[in-house]
Amino acid sequence: MLGRLGRWIDERAHLSELWQSQMVDYKVPKNLTFPYAFGIMALVAFAIQVISGIFLTMYYQPDVNKAFDSVNYTIMKEVPFMWLIRQVHAAGANFFLAVVYLHIFTGIYYNAYKKPRELTWIVGWLIYFVLLTTALTGYLLPWGQLSYWGMVVTAEIPTSIDSAPIIGKLKIGETISLWMKGGYEIGQITLGRFFGLHIWLLPLILLLLVGIHLYLVRAAGISNPEGREIDKKKEGVPFHPYITLKEGAYVMGYLAVFFFFVFFHMSHFLPADNYDPADPFKTPAHIAPEWYLLAYYTIFRSIPDKFLGFVAFNLSLLFLLLLPFLDFSPLKSARNRPLFFVMFVVLVISSMALTVLGTMPPTPTNAILGLLFTGGLFAFFLSLPLISIIEWGWYKARGGEKR
Amino acid sequence: MIKTVFFTAISLIFFYIIWINNFFAHKEKYEMPAQYARIAEDVKSYAREGKQLFEQNCQACHSVRYDSVYISAVQANPKLKTLQEKYGKVLPKDVYEGVFNEDLMALKESFGKVPPDLSTIYLVKGKEYLFNFTLEPQKVLPGTSMPAVMTGRPEETAKIVAYLKSVSEPTPEEKSKRVLMGIGTIAYLVVMGILIWLWKGKILKRMGLH
Repeated sequence: MLGRLGRWIDERAHLSELWQSQMVDYKVPKNLTFPYAFGIMALVAFAIQVISGIFLTMYYQPDVNKAFDSVNYTIMKEVPFMWLIRQVHAAGANFFLAVVYLHIFTGIYYNAYKKPRELTWIVGWLIYFVLLTTALTGYLLPWGQLSYWGMVVTAEIPTSIDSAPIIGKLKIGETISLWMKGGYEIGQITLGRFFGLHIWLLPLILLLLVGIHLYLVRAAGISNPEGREIDKKKEGVPFHPYITLKEGAYVMGYLAVFFFFVFFHMSHFLPADNYDPADPFKTPAHIAPEWYLLAYYTIFRSIPDKFLGFVAFNLSLLFLLLLPFLDFSPLKSARNRPLFFVMFVVLVISSMALTVLGTMPPTPTNAILGLLFTGGLFAFFLSLPLISIIEWGWYKARGGEKR
Repeated sequence: MIKTVFFTAISLIFFYIIWINNFFAHKEKYEMPAQYARIAEDVKSYAREGKQLFEQNCQACHSVRYDSVYISAVQANPKLKTLQEKYGKVLPKDVYEGVFNEDLMALKESFGKVPPDLSTIYLVKGKEYLFNFTLEPQKVLPGTSMPAVMTGRPEETAKIVAYLKSVSEPTPEEKSKRVLMGIGTIAYLVVMGILIWLWKGKILKRMGLH
């Protein structure tokens, strides 16, 4: 009966043909390494956020008087199992960003941003940027002390444009800050627009971008850890069942780690200070953004001039976007590029160190360390054109043969 | 191989530092004698007694809204019952602060600010801080307007902390249920992961791809 129903649908919808052409006949390199699974993990994390988020909107109230209680009483104590949904959503946001970071670094390591995949990289960068905004807007919603004061500090950052020599007179920064807050202070209007952005606009944009990203991955083909394009007719293994099963097993492992944190280690994802309701008259001792923004925050804060700091952290984002054009070497994948590999290690260590420095108090030593690692971060991006020129030389000397 | 080990290790260390134990960040530590820590931990035996002590010593100024405990002046007000019939036992914050504004302002006049609601304070401060602060407020936070009500009564203070813990945290039965649920979920995922992995090997052998 069920089989007949399936055949009836299939004769009309041609789903098995779609499956055959898109999943089985789709060939991918056999040697995909473990880091390639971060992409599918990010997709799973996104799905988890959407589903848990839908349930949270059923009980959350975007009202400055009710937001804190709706989260900490209604959701955490009153409605059965909503504590689990909230913990999944809170830990999920952190895991989503962590996996996206790992995915980005994997892409950099295997040079997955190079021709013909520049557009995949650019769309991926847009996803990352929208994701950061989504995380930022969502962080305000519980209306705790950290939510409130974190946003006070974040909304102050654009005003550093106003300390620039000439354009500072235009007060662009203040205008941006006012747009973010919807007024001169963070209140009901801020909460309302952040709620709307967080549950509707930004996730829809994300959904669209993720769709385009996936299409582009399929259109250009998956990259190869060896850095050469495979001949899809002769080599390569079927995507299903080879990759689906392999990465399916990895996803199970990922979810196991994720649920370990959800059930047994929430202290970082639901920090103690955020159980204190937002109070505009009480400034907490340590205000720092969430960990996924700390690297930019450290860049911003360790440069003595406010405007230059602002420029520097925006420049690091811009360089990330322009990566495919900074690195024009004919060689692909860090496996074939010793110079690139060294600079990649510099990048990894610098960005990790910048993040950790962001959690520490701003002492003079830390400021110098911050400057040092900011230098390391920019050294990676600025060394790429140089490395590319050197590698063009090697490539030509070998007679231009592909590796 | 060395590269794999290096990148895995550095990522794990990084996430350990930022998510689990950041030994670079500055943390304030408060000590609590072991016998009182045991009382504060034992919600089952002491929470009820702690609530009575709270009513006697703290309720004049502090509310615990999530346990529908309001400051004494409000608790004595007949309006409270009518409001609770309409809004439920836990009154919305704006209703509570609006209707009983006078009582709260009277407290503000004597202390400089409205004493905070203590529904989630246990989660914010932890038992060590609460114990030390309640015992000797001036020593922990010089200049605070909190009077030294409990000075010299460490055991009773620990019981009050146990009460606040019972309001903030799920009950011990609920907690053990959650632990069980967590273990079940993780075990399911691990077993599924292993099964998928084995199945993959089998299928690939049949396809001649291994």
